[in-house]
Amino acid sequence: MTTTKEILTLTAEIGDAMLRNGAEIYRVEDSLVRILKAYNIENFDIYVLSNGIFASANEGLDDSCSIIRHTPLGDVNLRKISALNQLTRDICCKHCDVKTAWKRLDECLNSPSPDKRLLCFFCGLGCSCFTYLFGGTILDSIMAFVAGIFLEIFLLYCAHQKLSRFTKNVFASIVAMTLSLLPLLFGLKISYDKIVIGVIMPLVPGITFTTSIRDYYNGDYLSGTIHLIDALLTALCIAAGVGIVISIYQSINGGVPVL
Amino acid sequence: MILELFIQFLIASIATLSFSVIFCAPRKEAIFCGITGGFGWIIYFILNNYVHYSIIVAALIATSGLAIISRSFAVIRMHPATIYILPGIFPLVPGAGIYYTAYYLITKQHTLFAQKGLETFEIASAIVFGIIFGFAIPQSLFAKLGQLFHHKTT
Repeated sequence: MTTTKEILTLTAEIGDAMLRNGAEIYRVEDSLVRILKAYNIENFDIYVLSNGIFASANEGLDDSCSIIRHTPLGDVNLRKISALNQLTRDICCKHCDVKTAWKRLDECLNSPSPDKRLLCFFCGLGCSCFTYLFGGTILDSIMAFVAGIFLEIFLLYCAHQKLSRFTKNVFASIVAMTLSLLPLLFGLKISYDKIVIGVIMPLVPGITFTTSIRDYYNGDYLSGTIHLIDALLTALCIAAGVGIVISIYQSINGGVPVL
Repeated sequence: MILELFIQFLIASIATLSFSVIFCAPRKEAIFCGITGGFGWIIYFILNNYVHYSIIVAALIATSGLAIISRSFAVIRMHPATIYILPGIFPLVPGAGIYYTAYYLITKQHTLFAQKGLETFEIASAIVFGIIFGFAIPQSLFAKLGQLFHHKTT
């Protein structure tokens, strides 16, 4: 017989993992409720925010317990969201007792992160494709490919150093802008604005923005606002980074507009 | 025209696929993420370049199309819709708008700055409503689609 405490801890851990990897609030709340119901806990309450989980079960009974989790905003990992969703589904179909669930959760959390070289390559590829989509030429795309690879290397380095999101975004945007201006030094005929647009794409807060909208849509206004502010600040950081480099570049060139 | 559309679709798909790899999408699903993004972009591209709708209307329709496609994939492939829509939104997100807004601000072209800033804001709002419309379609319809598909395969 598993105790309420054990089940509640498992539930909170699953919710914690889902939140960290960027699932929207409604999905987390819904999954947690389903898991608790599947394990025959009748009397419970759950409140999920974009950076915290509050859960209590069997209040007023002997085995009452409650849990609070703090989950900072993290990077998105779609594979983990998907795996956790599958785990929740299995628990709800009663295919999975508490012990197996713990094991599968551990497996999911400790799954290896993808190869760094692969990440760099795909970041470059994505950047070059976006440059082409937004009207760049083939040469621009090739430059964006190189710049994208270096940008991802920088981002990985930032993740390694555990810099704050704010610093990371400003510096990454500075790096992106500088890398896009570099080919001009060699006298290549490029439209550098198209390259920049492609290269800042990995930084653009598309994911946070979408999550924020979906939170609002489901009525989780507080979480939606947290994500929205995150998205706006990221956009502001990108703009600041780009602005810093452009103004420096202009002053070097004697105040001539670059475009 | 067909060739151009195909190239645009292909490039947008590759771009979305690459971003889905960066966000660690499950390997088997990456190709579907790519297709989702490709469709979103191609709707936007056709509406903008051939039908001559304004960018805002095009972004609105493309985003709701994107949401519908990702929800269809979600029921067909039995994964959460999130993993298709998050990479797929990238071609539509106004990254260019952010850049040009910052650029015009720094180069002191204030009229263009106001214009671009407003346009970026409008596109963002269009994306908001596009997603809301896409998700407003009841889940039961998608469940039917899923049933249809899974009967065929089994």
